[in-house]
Amino acid sequence: MTRQNATQLDTAPLSEEENEKKPTTTQERQGFLPIETNAFDRCFISVVIWVAMSLFWFRFIEPMGASIWISNVIALAIAVHIVRKG
Amino acid sequence: MKKRNPLLITLFWVLVSLLTLFPIYWLFVISVKPAVQLFSTPDVIVSNPYWGNYTDVLGNRLLRSYMVNSMVISTGNAVLCTVLGFFTCYALSRFQFRGKESIFFWTITNRMAPPAVFLLPLFLLMTQVYRVEDFTLLDTRIGMILVYCTFNLPFAIWTLRPTIDAIPRELDEAAYVDGASPWKVITEIVFPLCRPGLAVTLILTWVFAWNEYLLAATLTNFEARTLTTGLSEYVTTTGTEWGIMATISVFTLIPALIVFGLVQKHIVAGLTFGAVKG
Amino acid sequence: MQSNKLGWILLAPTLVILFFFGVLPFLYVVFVSFHQWNPFAASPEMIFNGAENFRRIVFDDAFLSSLGVTVAFVVFAVLSELIIGYLLAQAFMKEFPGKSIFRTIHTLPLIMAPIIVGSVWKLMTTPSIGIIPHYLDEWFGITMNIGTSAPAAFLTIVIMDIWHWTPLVTLTLIAALVSLPRDPFEQAQIDGANKAQTFWHITLPMITPALVATIFIRLMDALRTVDEVWMLTGGGPGSSTRFLGVHIFKEVFPKTNYGYGSTISVIVLYLTIVVCWLLYVSMLAPRKNRKG
Repeated sequence: MTRQNATQLDTAPLSEEENEKKPTTTQERQGFLPIETNAFDRCFISVVIWVAMSLFWFRFIEPMGASIWISNVIALAIAVHIVRKG
Repeated sequence: MKKRNPLLITLFWVLVSLLTLFPIYWLFVISVKPAVQLFSTPDVIVSNPYWGNYTDVLGNRLLRSYMVNSMVISTGNAVLCTVLGFFTCYALSRFQFRGKESIFFWTITNRMAPPAVFLLPLFLLMTQVYRVEDFTLLDTRIGMILVYCTFNLPFAIWTLRPTIDAIPRELDEAAYVDGASPWKVITEIVFPLCRPGLAVTLILTWVFAWNEYLLAATLTNFEARTLTTGLSEYVTTTGTEWGIMATISVFTLIPALIVFGLVQKHIVAGLTFGAVKG
Repeated sequence: MQSNKLGWILLAPTLVILFFFGVLPFLYVVFVSFHQWNPFAASPEMIFNGAENFRRIVFDDAFLSSLGVTVAFVVFAVLSELIIGYLLAQAFMKEFPGKSIFRTIHTLPLIMAPIIVGSVWKLMTTPSIGIIPHYLDEWFGITMNIGTSAPAAFLTIVIMDIWHWTPLVTLTLIAALVSLPRDPFEQAQIDGANKAQTFWHITLPMITPALVATIFIRLMDALRTVDEVWMLTGGGPGSSTRFLGVHIFKEVFPKTNYGYGSTISVIVLYLTIVVCWLLYVSMLAPRKNRKG
């Protein structure tokens, strides 16, 4: 019976050691955002910004006549920027 | 550091304790008063307790069935969560697979989600989607047991993880070398060593399930209603039966008080996801 | 490979249950939030209506006032709990007789069901039977009626929350204070630092991690307070104590407006996640900077 063993007991999620072990999946880096982020974090931040922007747009800008799609395009641009450079 | 009179500090803490205990004591006072005495001058000392409310509650068939439901649901849920939590932690602690820390982290996010948000989707899923012919999970004990897993199972995993991680791997390996089956290793070697941690988890999950109100109020109608929902049924805008309400509260409180002594040391660690050792 | 299969078998039940009762409801509520769906209305079918619900929610006064009340409550309650909890924790650091008994008594509210806390405080504060309004009236001539006065109801709920949850803050801060090293304090005393200076420059930076963790947990719990409020005031009088959770509970089910109700749920979840995530990041950030 083959049994693979972890070399250490990792208790804290997202710990530094964990990330070094699996560089392909959760690689963290320091971009222009104030924190180190991995791919998932950057997508998450983008979605959060998109939702916040859309709600803001609905409340204040759409009544003035600007379509929500403008907001979506801007949010998409921000998202691309964050995912690539964040 | 200034040396203050320890007596003064003791006095201060007596005061704080009184503030803590008085509301609970007042609950008891209301529960042993007949309805007519409630609205006169509030007496703090009970001279001749009236047990009519207690006999009323115990004599009420509906409330008795609520108690049984509460008991069955919380016990079933606590056992299920502890066992599954134990298996999960064993798997997370002893096996290597991709993304296992993500799984661990993901389970805990389930616990953090506000239950009010999940009321509607759970209600809709349980009535419309999770159904076999006419059988739905809504208003069944098994349904409630499974629903409570959303907050208790992550809790069990979170509290059991350090316990199982602390058991040396060499013990399992020695047993495997001796030709024991995995099942035997888990039940006869790891399980006995985890007993204290399992007991604390069992008790705390039991208390959390027993205390739950919001999900039970929405996802049950009649058959599987729990004692906490029974309590809210006695609060109406027209006329609340204060004595009965206080008595049901006492009945709901008692089990928590009984186990309180056992888990007192662990409750802070439990409520802070182990961030703080109490 | 055989052993890894065993690992997955052990994980499977947990993953299945959490998938069906955690992930799927989340996806489902997001899905429904883009639809118009009221099974008891003129058109009971589920109709896709794009972002209409979200367009409606940002102008929904009932929802926005509920949001405001929730924020006010969370700020008041959590701040008071932190201050009172810190003072109690400091009072606990001295030696005095009966320490463990007082600690046990202080922990007691933590194990009580929220709904019981609500019922306890209802019995304390309801005008006709409660002891607090009675003596406020008799001794100070103050009329307190949580059924009609919005400030009284709000204040009662804050006090109830303080009563219920301050012990948690106290105990976590005791744990933090006990583990502090003694040397900096002795040094500060030699240097002649006063109490405020010692607190700001020595105690506070050292207990910050514990403090942030405590705020994180308290904030999460305060944001989802429903049971006790539902029991105590039912969200009233008016909508003065109608917190987000109570709003969902009260608004969605009686009106069976499932589509719009899902939208409210999604927004509440969104706000909770953002708040938690910000706190989580602030908890993690200092740790990372130190390492890097």
